Amino acid sequence: MKRILALARKEVLHILRDPRSLAVAIAMPLGMLLLFGYAIDMELRSLPVGVMDLDHSQTSRAIVRDMTAGGFIVDAGRIHSRDEVERGFRRKKFLAVLVFPEGMDRDLANGNSPTIQLMIDGSDAATAQTVENYLSAVIARKNIEILREDLGDIKPPLEARVRFLFNPELRSPDFVVPGLTAVIMIMICALLTSVAVAREKETGTMEQIMTTPIKPSHVLIGKVIPYMVIAVLDATLVLLIGRVVFHVQMAGSWWILAAYSLLYLFISLALGLLVSTLAKTQQVAMTVALVATMLPTLLLSGFLFPISGMPLVLQWFAHIIPATYYLEVIRGIMLTGRHWYPFELGIMIVMALFLMSVSMRKFRSRLD
Amino acid sequence: MKAIFYLVQKEFRQIFRDHMMVRIIFLLPLLQLFIFGYAVNNDLKDVRISILDQDNSVESRHLADAFLNSSLFIPGPAAHSPADLDDLIYKGKTDITLWIPNDYSSSLSVGQEAQVGIAVDGKNSNLGGRAGGYAMAIIRQEGQRLRDARMLDNPLLRAKMKEIKTATRFFYNPELVSRTYMVPGIVVLVVTIISGLLTGMAVVRENEIGTLEQLMVTPITSLQLIAGKTIPFMILAFFELAFATVVAVLWFKIPIAGSLWLLTGSSLVYLVVTLGSGILASTVSRTQQQAMFTVWFFLVFGILMSGFFYPIENMPMAMQWLTYLNPLRYFLSIVRGLFLKGITLSDSLPDLIPMALLGIIIFGAAILRFRKTVA
Amino acid sequence: MNDNNGYAVRTDKLTRRFGSFTAVDAIDLAVKPGEIFGFLGANGAGKTTAIRMLCGLLAPTEGEAWVDGLPISSKAEEVKRHIGYMSQKFSLYNDLHVIENLEFYGGVYGLDKAEIRSRSTELLARVGLEDKGRTMTVDLSLGYKQRLALGCSVIHRPNILFLDEPTSGVDPIARRQFWDLIYELADQGTTVFVTTHYMDEAEYCSRVSIMVAGHIEAMGAPEELKTKHDVPDMQQLFITLVNR
Repeated sequence: MKRILALARKEVLHILRDPRSLAVAIAMPLGMLLLFGYAIDMELRSLPVGVMDLDHSQTSRAIVRDMTAGGFIVDAGRIHSRDEVERGFRRKKFLAVLVFPEGMDRDLANGNSPTIQLMIDGSDAATAQTVENYLSAVIARKNIEILREDLGDIKPPLEARVRFLFNPELRSPDFVVPGLTAVIMIMICALLTSVAVAREKETGTMEQIMTTPIKPSHVLIGKVIPYMVIAVLDATLVLLIGRVVFHVQMAGSWWILAAYSLLYLFISLALGLLVSTLAKTQQVAMTVALVATMLPTLLLSGFLFPISGMPLVLQWFAHIIPATYYLEVIRGIMLTGRHWYPFELGIMIVMALFLMSVSMRKFRSRLD
Repeated sequence: MKAIFYLVQKEFRQIFRDHMMVRIIFLLPLLQLFIFGYAVNNDLKDVRISILDQDNSVESRHLADAFLNSSLFIPGPAAHSPADLDDLIYKGKTDITLWIPNDYSSSLSVGQEAQVGIAVDGKNSNLGGRAGGYAMAIIRQEGQRLRDARMLDNPLLRAKMKEIKTATRFFYNPELVSRTYMVPGIVVLVVTIISGLLTGMAVVRENEIGTLEQLMVTPITSLQLIAGKTIPFMILAFFELAFATVVAVLWFKIPIAGSLWLLTGSSLVYLVVTLGSGILASTVSRTQQQAMFTVWFFLVFGILMSGFFYPIENMPMAMQWLTYLNPLRYFLSIVRGLFLKGITLSDSLPDLIPMALLGIIIFGAAILRFRKTVA
Repeated sequence: MNDNNGYAVRTDKLTRRFGSFTAVDAIDLAVKPGEIFGFLGANGAGKTTAIRMLCGLLAPTEGEAWVDGLPISSKAEEVKRHIGYMSQKFSLYNDLHVIENLEFYGGVYGLDKAEIRSRSTELLARVGLEDKGRTMTVDLSLGYKQRLALGCSVIHRPNILFLDEPTSGVDPIARRQFWDLIYELADQGTTVFVTTHYMDEAEYCSRVSIMVAGHIEAMGAPEELKTKHDVPDMQQLFITLVNR
């Protein structure tokens, strides 16, 4: 025990005396959280929509007014010819154009049904779909108004009450920030520990340590403890900022979240150690740690893009990424308040044991 | 001129002899194209819906079928009570629920307003919001159908039936597949990562092993040296771009609507930017590791602030201003425009001009810093 | 001041400061063509700084030096055509073949194709690597790497060759062979300006200077200096001067 502490103390000194790794440990998670938290905002707003008004009527003006009322759509100005439409799309002046046909108002007065054309730039599919839904809804509401003018206070036959559970206002940070916690933690942990063993190998101090009577497993434990402390600090910091700056809700218990998070941090550190025992130089270790954690976690864990939308091969791959399971847990706890995740917990425990035992074995065999 | 030739020759020899390098150059882009191309996908697909139909009438089944027959929804697990529905979402077993209460058809038949309840899993604010919007559209259509039926039944009302119809046309991507938008972006990423990273490391490596000093005592000028370093990577990056474009067109079946010449020309301008950034990064780094981290940092920053994942318009104002300094933003917009919309040279100028300016500034700074470091 | 034409290297109060630290303090040197000039000094005495100034890698803060008659402050680029330089790092491309390293430096010095070919073959034989032209440089032993680096630095037949601790870390036999090459070059009229830590090597030089803390403490032929300071060998002379 005393030996492990001696090792741990030495490791702490390394960290404190190397400003770069300390910066990586503290500044990087914060920077990433703020940067990603603000940059990944999926709530659409202020989408420019152009209007080609061939009718110049009360109705057309009323629809434009309704459309821009919520701030979701901004009026990108008037268009006078069809040529301008495609040119505007190409130059990204607007995302959609509403064409009010000539005589629309008159047709309505005569009891006819005119047609408004919606021309939408489909390049960004998700945005295009959302714009279409929104504009159709605006026109549907207008239709009800039109009928009411004629028929008095009629009721629409069907009304739906829509509730968005767990995130009623569909705030983007509530979705992104818990996920970011998972991404940042695994990156930082793996990065920090991956260097820890490789550095000693490079400088030859590892050989020195191994000639002392300490057990190899104790060396690893001595390495992990200080980084575990840093990781816990980081995690606390990230969650705190998520709460204070991004106002992420917390439906569940902090303590239970902390328990799952400790397990996840342990997996991340073990992953870094494994990389570290396999890599010969610090550079290789860092590169592998970055590549092995950052891209898969960002893209394949369901952080932003749903796993169900991926081809099968990628789905299998997604299920060997630790973050996939932790994401499920942290989002669940913070947004729904559900605390018990037997499946995810089981897999995470298996992962932790597996990674730790493999890196122990690799560490030992390398020294033989 | 001759000295540059020998520098380029040497660089190519070094690149092709390093197996790791060859793998990075040929496999990394392919891997990126496939993983990004398939994983970066925000299409709404196979949304699980659990329907509790307590009315069990012709009308209620009609409404339920309207949901189940849409291409978006697939049936989720069944529920036996309204509380069950929320529980299914809570446990993550379904994505959206529809509750049709037992007075549905009776309300309709007496001309009352029929109420149904929809609950959406809002954990994923983006997908949840869009699925909710889609569900509302189905409800709206069903409501219209019911209203039309009601009015047609009543001769008095039938005369007054009128409404504004809409006809929607989606330009450039009529089937609204997100891949069409993402893949051209990935082509840009592939080229950016390779060119920035390789150039940055190539210069620092010479510094690390001391050959840069050796070169500085020869009569070659620092301009020749920079040319000798950039030309090989320019050629490689250009090759990568062509390669990635071919994969995008042939494998992902994304046609290029615009001119190949404009694509070539704007790529050359962009490569000046990325190669310049690589050299600049190398002048502030002493080791390859530092160079790699510097480039990596700017890459992550640049990719996030480019509008690759989410529209720049969604970002806070201060961040939007920052994106104007991001060359990736401009090239991304040009390439997406070229692939999808067939933009012309004059359409691309608002992006091309700032990108060229950034190129001049960055490459100029790279040359100045480089001279200072080696002198 | 303008009588530098007869000298291969001449300095006049050559000085270099880094901030408040004076690395090279107004040194005066004169090296005649064809000499092997030993530039000795302890670690950190300022040898490398001085050599880097003479090679045009660093600008002097004060003073002037003429290399092959050219002033280094204004004609640094011109100077580079007349000199060869080899440092203790043997700056070779490990992932190029032996012959490719030679050809590359030939190209960088602006030789034409035929010349590069003939010089490369000639130098390969000179440094004893004629059967190793297609060997990967990384696989060479340290002694061979050192000789290859020398070959690369003289491919353009420089008048003056600067060697910065060229033999550090090499075994005694390889060092002996290396010095044979230096003698050969000097016999053909190349001026050799060499720094070293090995005092036996200092004995091989036609003249030496000993630098201590930025100053030149002694200069002259090895025999002459030993007599003057009344010491048995260069080792003793060096220790005496450095400790003074």
